[in-house]
Amino acid sequence: MTREEIFAKVVEIVRPFVKNQEALDSVDENTNILQDLKVNSARLVDIILDFEDAFNIEVEDEDADAVNTVGDAVGLIAAKVPS
Amino acid sequence: MSVLPWRTRAALVLQREVGRFSSILWIFPIVFILRVLMRYRVKNVAELRKRHRALMKENDGPVLICANHLTMIDSVILAWALGGSWWYVFHYRRMPWNLPEYNNFASIWLSRLAAWVTKCIPIVRGGAREQVSGVIKRVQHLLSRGDTALIFAEGGRSRTGRVQADSPAHGMGRILNAVEGCKALCVYLRGDRQLTWSTVPARGDTFYVDFEFFQPESLHRGMRRSRDLAQQIVARLARMEEEYFAGRE
Repeated sequence: MTREEIFAKVVEIVRPFVKNQEALDSVDENTNILQDLKVNSARLVDIILDFEDAFNIEVEDEDADAVNTVGDAVGLIAAKVPS
Repeated sequence: MSVLPWRTRAALVLQREVGRFSSILWIFPIVFILRVLMRYRVKNVAELRKRHRALMKENDGPVLICANHLTMIDSVILAWALGGSWWYVFHYRRMPWNLPEYNNFASIWLSRLAAWVTKCIPIVRGGAREQVSGVIKRVQHLLSRGDTALIFAEGGRSRTGRVQADSPAHGMGRILNAVEGCKALCVYLRGDRQLTWSTVPARGDTFYVDFEFFQPESLHRGMRRSRDLAQQIVARLARMEEEYFAGRE
């Protein structure tokens, strides 16, 4: 799975939780999930669990600490998805 | 569970020991405020404390108190209800570490100092992930050393006045997931005049307190396990709340 494919899938997973839909239109890997997309911090856990389901991976709490931007999420998934 | 830097560990030891040696200076005044100035009472307090002490004696390991949350001073009332002043002086590790909201309790230096002495580790709810994660790691470290900590199972005060079973605090599950042998002490606390959430309970209110020891289990791993454990705790608190209201009818 390419990084671009992971990125596209991540954006689709995040979409229902986003409060700032305008920011989603210009989303890139530097977009901060909580600050730019205005996702509720409590919902970030749901998002990461959705990543687990969608990519068939397992995420530890400490891995999730490093997820601030969309790019962080893509990087985390890319490291866990079998190439 | 990750190991904290030695500076952080040393800072926690210093905080605990300063709190311990000054405990007489702050525990008794707080209890005076609760009992005399606010005229609060706890139902069956002697029996409640006896049960709590017996339970702590039987279970010497780490305990995470997981409680419902309706007012800003729930943690103080809860600690007072579960143990008498002298008991805490002599069993200081059973005085729970508390995680108050930074903006409510630690935004000015005087309240920050008071919070520090009284075993508080302020947290910015919904704040930067590094800060929240750092606080959780400190609590994990303290529990792994056999201390007691208190966390509100819903993360913040319930805006409905009832336990919100659909919004468990993930940090609670994360702590239980990481600390081997950690048990949850689910505590349900409510003033008889407490209809919904508020800043402080009404003066002269009488509190119902009940608790159950619980070690949640999960077949999941990683983050999903933390979520599962947190959901079990909050579901148990919701059941305890149902029992409270059933008992009032």
